[in-house]
Amino acid sequence: MAVIQTRNLTYMYPTATKPAIRDVSIKIEKGEFVLITGPSGCGKTTLCRCFNGLIPHFYQGEINGEITVAGLNILEHPTSELAKHVGLVFQNPENQLFALSVEKDVAFGLENLGYPREKMQKRVDWALNLTGIYELRERAPHELSGGQQQRVAIASVLAMQPEIMVLDEPTSFLDPLTAKKIFEVIYELNNTLGITVVLVEHRLDLTAQYSNHIIIMNQGKVVLDGEPREILSSKETRLIGVGIPKATRLYQILKEDDGVKLGKKIPLSSEEMTKLLREVIKT
Amino acid sequence: MSVFDGLKFRRVYSPIHNLDPRIKFIYVCAIFVIAIMFGELLPLIILFTFQIPFVLLAGVKREWIRSMRGAAFLATIIFLTNFVFAYLGARGIGQSLENAVAMTLRFIVLIESFSIFFLTTSPDHLGLALEQTHVPYEFTFAFTTAVRFVPVLAEEAQTIMDAQKARGLELERGNFLKRIRNYIPILIPLIVSAIRRSLELAEAMESRAWGATKKRTNLYVLKMHKGDFILIAITIGILAVAIYIRLYLPIPSINQLLANIN
Repeated sequence: MAVIQTRNLTYMYPTATKPAIRDVSIKIEKGEFVLITGPSGCGKTTLCRCFNGLIPHFYQGEINGEITVAGLNILEHPTSELAKHVGLVFQNPENQLFALSVEKDVAFGLENLGYPREKMQKRVDWALNLTGIYELRERAPHELSGGQQQRVAIASVLAMQPEIMVLDEPTSFLDPLTAKKIFEVIYELNNTLGITVVLVEHRLDLTAQYSNHIIIMNQGKVVLDGEPREILSSKETRLIGVGIPKATRLYQILKEDDGVKLGKKIPLSSEEMTKLLREVIKT
Repeated sequence: MSVFDGLKFRRVYSPIHNLDPRIKFIYVCAIFVIAIMFGELLPLIILFTFQIPFVLLAGVKREWIRSMRGAAFLATIIFLTNFVFAYLGARGIGQSLENAVAMTLRFIVLIESFSIFFLTTSPDHLGLALEQTHVPYEFTFAFTTAVRFVPVLAEEAQTIMDAQKARGLELERGNFLKRIRNYIPILIPLIVSAIRRSLELAEAMESRAWGATKKRTNLYVLKMHKGDFILIAITIGILAVAIYIRLYLPIPSINQLLANIN
């Protein structure tokens, strides 16, 4: 069953002269790990804002087409109601934390939903443990490092136990190692809890291996949509300027220029590439 | 960054910090009332020394001394005006002196008690207290968020200042008016980025079900502990004693006491 489905979705910001996204028709299944990528300004963030109703409720503007998220038509349900189903994590961790302690920040959504205290405390502890920041719970968010802050942001969304988590470039303020750890946390949530993850990212090197669905956007349109191995090895993807994982690119070069084919499975990460190379060396 | 240091909050644990801010506030108000009730020097001295144990117990001696020093200028003015006018009003020098000292001390007692309150109450607690005294949540949220973003904005101001200086902006040049005008290239980017930040913040709030229900709950709840009851008892005690003294006991002035000794 599709948890997110759009049909010919077109949206224009109030002050804009041309639509930020045009004719977007996508289908995201339950439990998928979806990667959305594409050059800057291609409408990825706008699409994310549609998923929890910030567009059109917060931004106004002109929206056309259909969009249902978790079985709800976003045009008819306010963001506060959609928030129970869709969690949105933003780019800048600093601007999405507003409380004076981590614990309180994680509880913010639950407080808004009017949860009783005992239940809330349990949920908060659960979310903090899953994201590995339980020992930071009494610290002030602004004292934490960027990576820790982003974990708090993820925990605070997770605490509401949404079916879908949308993360809009959550690691663009972080260094590669911290980013890698964040991705591992996100993958864990997808893998063990079955939460549908929609991740907007440029760093495909670190994320492609986790995904099982990839959507590539360019100039407000969805250009490619499908299986990661297939899409990342296609020529079109490269021409748009998507940062294809180095392992995939290496595989491609060897195949196209030298006619060498390393195994059947196109690698998406260095680990997978290493495995392929080892097999070749052995034989 | 020293200008902004005073605005940063630190999480400290002490018997005084753990007290319920509402009770602390009542205590401060009681001290306030008592200080207004007495114009004589002797009870004000007692009131002043009475609060010093609180400072020591809370471990905020250094900050407290700093805030007292901050009040010194105003205190001097109060002292001088009181002394001069009392003296001109043809009172003896001893009595005018005592009167002026009393007025100054009254002011210091007020500052003292308020600074104890603010030095030992985390903004977190204060927000919670506001919330539980049924102040609308929008206001308390605005308050805690403001406190939360002060260090962030201070840091940003510093970054913008550095950036503008790197482009050749000279802040410390020219006369007074020119100097103020020098800050425009700092203020504009700061305000623009603050507005942008607030939009992002609003988005994040919306995404976390802001305003989903009318009946909002709270993770933390203020509870009265033993210490709070002790403070209530102390407050009622000193208030009662103060009222009794005011109504039924004559208060000797220091001058009279000195005269008696001689």
